[in-house]
Amino acid sequence: MSGQKALSRFHQPIQVPGRRLIHHIPLPFVVKKAVGGGQRSVNQEIPLIPFIDFLLCIVLFLLASFSATGELPIDKNVRLPKAENVIDMTEAPMVAITGNQIIVDGTAAGSTRTIEDANRMQRVDELFGILKNKRELWKQVNPGKEFPGVAVLQVDRRVTALVVKSVFQTAAMAGYPSISFMVGRLGKGN
Amino acid sequence: MAGIDVGGHGGKRNLNHEIPLIPFIDFLLCLVAFLLVTAVWSQMARINADAKVPGPPRPDEPDEIKPEKELHVEMRGDKKFQLVWKEGATVVNTIDVDRKAVNMGTEGDITFPALAEKVTSEWKNNGNHKAPTDKKFDRAVLHTDNSTPFSDVIAVIDAVYAPQRDFTLGAKAQKLPAFNLTFAVN
Repeated sequence: MSGQKALSRFHQPIQVPGRRLIHHIPLPFVVKKAVGGGQRSVNQEIPLIPFIDFLLCIVLFLLASFSATGELPIDKNVRLPKAENVIDMTEAPMVAITGNQIIVDGTAAGSTRTIEDANRMQRVDELFGILKNKRELWKQVNPGKEFPGVAVLQVDRRVTALVVKSVFQTAAMAGYPSISFMVGRLGKGN
Repeated sequence: MAGIDVGGHGGKRNLNHEIPLIPFIDFLLCLVAFLLVTAVWSQMARINADAKVPGPPRPDEPDEIKPEKELHVEMRGDKKFQLVWKEGATVVNTIDVDRKAVNMGTEGDITFPALAEKVTSEWKNNGNHKAPTDKKFDRAVLHTDNSTPFSDVIAVIDAVYAPQRDFTLGAKAQKLPAFNLTFAVN
């Protein structure tokens, strides 16, 4: 088999349908007109093999960057600060602190107003109860395993340190001593 | 169509096969569409902090534990940071660092490169846990005003985490921040 022939088998031709109605008329000048004889061929071939290579490259790239854990839920009212020396996210209970609300995995867990009014660090009882329940639930679901004690705080950049420290200590008292702050990734070159 | 040609075998059954390229392309396109729809283009990361929570006493725990050096970072003033090395309640060394914030980007993010540089050099000179197999980390304690905005707190934590050390856990080697930070409660 010649090389030309082998290559041509990998191409998908697009053929102009052409005229069909007057093909049966046995007159040479009619047939010539009917098949478009004498004019440049308008048939084209699509190079399928490079196209498949391209698709495979896209598939491999997308598979490599595929995340099975899904999208991280970020409260729309929270504007996160950015930092350089960060580590990758982990799956853990998410405590969001917006302007005046504390939210655990989408459930309201107290207000920051009480902390600010008291003007001193204090335990947030509602948050403490919810986190403690989550811990107990984890222990029931995973008997015999060591509890990781990790919680992630999503804190708005304008929230004061007093509120952050209060929530931090509350989470620690509820059995989450390893607290992470969710931040945006700041490139070293920025 | 693409085919597999095994050459002619006169008189025998034809062994040539055609690969159906069009369904294959359709399948790849479906795969690309699915992966694009489910892709997560997140730039989120985390900064770790550690709450100093005393656990129950262990039977093998020694009666007297020698206090280790801790780096206390004071960010109470407007003009400067104070780095204080303490061994228990004893102050070993105090260093002042200018509080020069550098703006990053357009959203008001700041960094403290001078502080990061000083913390790095301090850890190189005074850090206790540098070996890759050492499971313990040096401890830093952050003292901040109650009214400090969280963005400033994160900028300081980011600077404290600037020194990185090798850490080997089993066969896995990685670079991690040299300090483990916690907040001062007072």
